[in-house]
Amino acid sequence: MAFELPKLSYSGQIREIALGKGDKAVTVGGEMSYPFHLFEGEMPHLPKIAMEVYDTPPEGWAEAALEPFKGVTDDPVAWARKCIDDYGAEMICLQLESTDPNGLDRNAPEAAEIAKKVADAISVPLIIWGTANHDKDTEVLRKVCELCQGKNLIIGPVEEGDYKKIAAAAIGYRHTVAASTPIDINLAKQLNILLGNLGIADERLLIDPTVSGIGYGIEYCYSVMERIRVAALTQQDEKLQLPIICNIAKETWKTKEVKMPTEEDPKLGDAKKRGILMEAMSAMVLLLAGADILVMRHPEAIGLVREMIAELVAS
Amino acid sequence: MAKNSPNTKIRVHFEPDNTDIIAEPGANLRETALAAGVHINASCGGAGTCGTCKVMIKKGEVESIKTARVSDEEYASGIRQACQSRVITDLIVQIPVASRLEKAILAQEKEAMVAGVQPSAALAKGWSFNPAVSKLLLQLKPPTLTDNTSDLSRLLRGLKQQYGLASISVDFTVIKKLARVLRDGDWKVTVTTLRDTEPRLSVTNVEPGDTRARHYSLAFDIGTTAVRGQLLDLNRGKVLAQSLDYNGQISYGEDVISRIAYSQKAGGLKKLGRAVIATINGLLQELTKQAGTEVKDICHLVIAGNTVMVQLLLGLDPKYIRLSPYVPTVNIAPPVRASSLGIGVEEHVHLYTLPSVASYVGGDIVAGILGTGIYQRKTVTLYIDIGTNGEIVIGNSDFMVTASCSAGPAFEGGGIKQGMLATSGAIEGCSISPSNFEPTLTTIGGTKPKGICGSGLINIVAGLLRAGAISQNGKFHTDLATGRIRRGEDGYEYVLAWAPETQIGRDIVFTEIDIDNLIRAKAAMYAGCQTLIKSLGAKCSNIEQVIIAGTFGSNIDIENAITIGLLPDLPWDKFIFIGNGSLLGARLTSFSTDLASDGQRVARMMTNFELSENTDFMNNYVAALFLPHTNTDEFSSVKIKVG
Repeated sequence: MAFELPKLSYSGQIREIALGKGDKAVTVGGEMSYPFHLFEGEMPHLPKIAMEVYDTPPEGWAEAALEPFKGVTDDPVAWARKCIDDYGAEMICLQLESTDPNGLDRNAPEAAEIAKKVADAISVPLIIWGTANHDKDTEVLRKVCELCQGKNLIIGPVEEGDYKKIAAAAIGYRHTVAASTPIDINLAKQLNILLGNLGIADERLLIDPTVSGIGYGIEYCYSVMERIRVAALTQQDEKLQLPIICNIAKETWKTKEVKMPTEEDPKLGDAKKRGILMEAMSAMVLLLAGADILVMRHPEAIGLVREMIAELVAS
Repeated sequence: MAKNSPNTKIRVHFEPDNTDIIAEPGANLRETALAAGVHINASCGGAGTCGTCKVMIKKGEVESIKTARVSDEEYASGIRQACQSRVITDLIVQIPVASRLEKAILAQEKEAMVAGVQPSAALAKGWSFNPAVSKLLLQLKPPTLTDNTSDLSRLLRGLKQQYGLASISVDFTVIKKLARVLRDGDWKVTVTTLRDTEPRLSVTNVEPGDTRARHYSLAFDIGTTAVRGQLLDLNRGKVLAQSLDYNGQISYGEDVISRIAYSQKAGGLKKLGRAVIATINGLLQELTKQAGTEVKDICHLVIAGNTVMVQLLLGLDPKYIRLSPYVPTVNIAPPVRASSLGIGVEEHVHLYTLPSVASYVGGDIVAGILGTGIYQRKTVTLYIDIGTNGEIVIGNSDFMVTASCSAGPAFEGGGIKQGMLATSGAIEGCSISPSNFEPTLTTIGGTKPKGICGSGLINIVAGLLRAGAISQNGKFHTDLATGRIRRGEDGYEYVLAWAPETQIGRDIVFTEIDIDNLIRAKAAMYAGCQTLIKSLGAKCSNIEQVIIAGTFGSNIDIENAITIGLLPDLPWDKFIFIGNGSLLGARLTSFSTDLASDGQRVARMMTNFELSENTDFMNNYVAALFLPHTNTDEFSSVKIKVG
């Protein structure tokens, strides 16, 4: 008798969510099985990688992370174009770092103007990410929603502390929302329920479970994401049947292990390679846990992850 | 030098008690009040954190630390926290309504106790009436020169010949007075015997003449907050009198943890023991007076209480109950002479305490299970005692699991900005109009409101949720057309009553922090139930009956409790209220040694789950921190207004 692979049967499916506009629009989600369990169910849309762009020249970045973007880091539009034209980005994530009240504290209209410029200059879906400061994000993200009406942006992070006003603007100007909660399946579901009560359609909702990189508790993130998928696919938990977005670039590239130059600790190996691998491997772990959108930085790390995805789905 | 000079003594006068006391300079004001027999609330036991001990300094000066609990406005008007104040000069201290203990409600509960009949569907059955103490009349032949055996042998011979009792021991206290009693009674005496659960029989008393008609016992439930007692007729198996009073220990902290903390202070254990004994002695006097009996005819005492209360009563250091791995000194305490503890009964009277299961699952719960007969039936029953320390039991005649979860003091009105015990003036009933968000309130005693009690909290949160004034995470919708939702000093709040409508002269508000506290309390209770049910591999729907015990429990509105996710979403007819399960069990134990042995069997049968060590509990707890619950399927009967 031939060997038969034991298979799980699933009762749920991840919702398909369309992001962006026009011919470069993408769809994420739709999974009918655990990540890459293609022998059990379909994965109609492969995970997407969004490349990071900052609205202000980065400070204190590792040399390796700056190198691919030489000459464009002071211009978010040029940076975004480079990501798409040179590195084949399918999505862009604009980090509105300059709005941080503890930093440059750029005002909402100016920040929204930058977002608008980037949105106008590209045709791939655009994620706009705030600073997780509730008051400031409320101001900034609402303005962004308004100014970029009809672009179907992804707006985040939307947290329990500021969801009402931001989500109201997202509903009004037709954008998608990334609901962000601190690594807990129940909190994730609670925020989705609250957003649902407010009137956000499930088709315009992504889960941001909050993640960290390797060495900084990624196992815990993995476990929470895995549980979200188990609840979604096997326990008919509708409020968790949503694609997951992971903002992993920031988390890996800010660590000491990635920033440390080669000379400082030769045992850790080449600094550039180290950073790229840290990002790529963290991203891989999250993919296996159920990530649908990865926000990444380094083109080489992205290349490695794309290769890995291709291999995982090769028949 | 000036040690004995009158100038260094300070006179403190308390109003409205109208009590004076002489204090040393620098003495703590709250302790001074305690010494004067004046009660001032202190939920935190005098740590300065709760702000329930506010007093008004009408005259004189105190040296006081100002904490965040006293507003600038209050401070300027002379309000101080008694526990944070030292007396400097002669004082006139006014104790405001909010800091006083209200006894009126106890009177109300007393009426309810008398009227209350436990539903027979939830009572232990099939036990025989055989109290642990019996009175036996002996007619002995006087000694003669030919029959000159000793008095004791004569007594034992009589017991054997007339009652067939052999191998019986006799307390030395009986022997000491035996010669006189036998002769005083002209060889006709009444012997009191005590049957232990072992069973072992001993003679504990002998009285001249026939006293069999006067054969009484006392049953007590020693609660952390209140002590409830009944005087029982052991000849007829009847309750002759019942009463209750606040546990005298309340002045040393409102919950078991602060009591344990107090017991660790110098002399603390003794003080706590004396406080509760004083309460018992007071009730003892009242009960005998009510029943028209005499204290000397009380033959037995049965007491049920949580593990900490029992240990404090017996004078056993409760320190290790609080420390991991949470071990009590005894689960099954042997009968002790009540008089040795200071209880004002005859020397021969023994006190039996219902056995406990673990540090936080006490004899009060065992008593409840015993009294309700859950251990006798096949019906899978969930027994919940809702309180500061919520206790949960699930089981039937085949198995029993139990857990205790720390819900915090919210259900007793603690940790709530304007919370109070369920006494006169407490807002209890509340419904809120979904159109204009105006509340309709009812208070205990029908007076103007003074604060909010635990059952009121449940009704208020359910009302706010149903009216769409709060979202499912317990946060106010701030864009509604009502002046009642406003930003206060602790964030958003809802005004339940405007200042002129109250007894306290300021707005009674319910804050987002209060909602959070209640959500945490209900989440702990529900998650405890859920964890216990899951640990059995069962589901909520497997529960065939829910018995809710406790005085607080009896005042809960089932629908509202389900709406906020405190109680599982089961058909309402599955819920039974039994009032004080602990006293019920203590009473039945006093009536029947069968039940006393059953009690020990029940205690041994219960498997205790330590929730603090359980990862599933934490997960269930976070899931329950939502109204009614994150998993809305578990509360399908609850309809929430959204938008």
